[in-house]
Amino acid sequence: MRISRRAFAAAAVAVVLPLSACGSGGEGGGSGDASGKVEGGITFQTWNLRANFKPYFEGLIAEFEKKNPGTHVKWVDQPAEGYADKISADAAGGTLPDVVNVSPDLVAPLAKAGLALDLDKAAPQYEKEYLPGAWAGHRIPGQPGTYAFPWYLNTGPLFYNKSLFKKAGLDAEKPPTTYDDLFADALQLAKKSGGKVATLANVPTIEDFGRYGVPLMNKEGTGFTFNDAKGVELLTQYKELYDAKALDPQALTATPESSGKKFLTGAVAMNPGSALDLGNFKKQAPSLYKNIGITDQITSTGHVNMYVMGVMVNAQSKRKPAAVAFAHFVTDAAHQMSFAKKVAIFPSTAGSLDDPYFTKEDGTDETRVRVAAAKSLKTAVNYTPVLFSEQMKIALRNEVAKALQGKQSPEEALDNAVKECDRLLTQQG
Amino acid sequence: MALSGISRVRRQLPTSPWLFAAPGLLVTGAFVLYPFVSTLVNSFTDRRTLIPGRFVGLANFRELLHDDMFWTGLRNSTLYVLGVVPLLVVLPLLLALLVQKNIPGITFFRSAFYTPVVASIVVVGLIWVWLLDDRGLVNAVLETVGVGRVGFLSDQWLLLMSAMAVTVWKGLGYYMIIYLAALGNVPRELHEAAAVDGAGAVRRFLSVTVPAVRSTMVLVGALSSVAAFKVFSEVYLLAGPSGGPAGEDTTLVMLVQRTGTGLTGRVGYASALSVVVFAVTVALMLLVLRADRKEDS
Repeated sequence: MRISRRAFAAAAVAVVLPLSACGSGGEGGGSGDASGKVEGGITFQTWNLRANFKPYFEGLIAEFEKKNPGTHVKWVDQPAEGYADKISADAAGGTLPDVVNVSPDLVAPLAKAGLALDLDKAAPQYEKEYLPGAWAGHRIPGQPGTYAFPWYLNTGPLFYNKSLFKKAGLDAEKPPTTYDDLFADALQLAKKSGGKVATLANVPTIEDFGRYGVPLMNKEGTGFTFNDAKGVELLTQYKELYDAKALDPQALTATPESSGKKFLTGAVAMNPGSALDLGNFKKQAPSLYKNIGITDQITSTGHVNMYVMGVMVNAQSKRKPAAVAFAHFVTDAAHQMSFAKKVAIFPSTAGSLDDPYFTKEDGTDETRVRVAAAKSLKTAVNYTPVLFSEQMKIALRNEVAKALQGKQSPEEALDNAVKECDRLLTQQG
Repeated sequence: MALSGISRVRRQLPTSPWLFAAPGLLVTGAFVLYPFVSTLVNSFTDRRTLIPGRFVGLANFRELLHDDMFWTGLRNSTLYVLGVVPLLVVLPLLLALLVQKNIPGITFFRSAFYTPVVASIVVVGLIWVWLLDDRGLVNAVLETVGVGRVGFLSDQWLLLMSAMAVTVWKGLGYYMIIYLAALGNVPRELHEAAAVDGAGAVRRFLSVTVPAVRSTMVLVGALSSVAAFKVFSEVYLLAGPSGGPAGEDTTLVMLVQRTGTGLTGRVGYASALSVVVFAVTVALMLLVLRADRKEDS
């Protein structure tokens, strides 16, 4: 059987061409004027919420349409996987929905491309309804404006395995509360278990540097600064943990899911989480649940880390008044409170965290975690800079990994990471 | 009546083939040719996901030459071809010889060997991650026999080899089917004549089977080398999105995905990477073709 050159060339083209799928860009812009009658059809996109909260959102939409006759909301939900890519494709193709569920790092490039509506201009009257920190969560350094309504917040405690603590001769009722305690306990756990039990399962991320008190970015938002002495100090500590196997050997390639599994199987003694995880422990690892310890996030700054979710209005929407009204409707105090009672999240609206639901314990672990989290959220910080892209996260992670493997010093690693992140920042424009 | 019918068909003949081919041409044009041309054009621009690009000439290609990650990706993709292709050319042939025989129950084995081909790569990847984890089945066995734990998923080279093992395991059945078809065309008389001349099983394999299926081996070599050079899923699933420890297991296609996607994706640079992948793949095909022609002459 002879195979002709042409056949080979044709096969090569057919096999390789699909590699070339690339998006097309679109011009930014759009008027910031959102005044006018609330009417017409709009599209609302959520981030992997349909499976668990379909009745809630259908009720919410029905309520909005009833309150605003002449409006129609089409709800679309996208899976968690590839959400940023979906938004990219829509933004580039000019098919971005009118109201979009976003996180701050997604808002930043959309705002820079003129696709996110500036609420400071279009809807400044709503600012006072939200926690100041949450409202500021969708601001971009070096660019005036606020580009999304704050929606729900989340934070969580640090879970630890009391049984593993006891086996290592540590006091299970006194978990570490400072970084020094954490590192000392981790080294002891590794030593006593012969390197079989690590305390941490993830390499330090940008938010870890932030929580350690490392300045991450200059005020102008033009360059990163996490390669200072404090940053080097944290990475040096992690290197010591890695060498002693107090940091899991697979931490260099770990994901939050894989480290969660390691905690479930008792391979790792501590793991960050949220109130949602308690139910998971109960179901998937009952023996771990009996030995679960709950402590606060460790921080040198006094402020725990929080995650902010937002609702953005497309600046190019043809129904801006309806889109702004609906985005506000979804995120107002009453609806955030109602949503928070369905799932372990926290409202970003002013005063909501003082509701007895977030201040009174009933003796269960769930309420204990909820109350503690709500209390810490009042002063919490979203440490991850909004301009810190996925590519930057990978760049930092890879340089940190090189330092942990001893291929370069912590100073060199952080200098290289800052250099690469600054380069990516410049390219982002 | 009949004559007028024929002349009507003749009149329509020039356009008819095009009409029949139109659906296929449209799909190919929209989903293959247009993206290819678009990628080629983008590779000479600084286009980003949300920002239209400007013409930058060969700047992206010059940048590639100074990008450490590009060389890492090229190294890993090349190693993947070198590690995977010989195994995928030889092992499926041996497997096909085994299952070619008509003995009771052989259908079960044929189906079993083919199962990994139809299994979802994500599911397969997750299963292998569980198997090769520090606390997975493989390490448990190694620990029991006294070897100790091996960092299949934490060592840069072991991770790449583990991904290669998954690719080979998953591809065996597919290429086995191709070989089965080729083996069915090998005349039985040749084997019988060789046996009469006193050739043993190995000798018959080398002197009868291999020459008879040589063209199929070339085809399998070409197909598997292109697939190996473009490897993404196996490495991504085992090494994670960052491409293994310190990104050292990143392949070229992973780099294309990482660079060109997302809201801050550098579409121009990723397109230049894609063009390089395309060029290398075509070169690989031509290399295999040349080797085939040399053998023929």
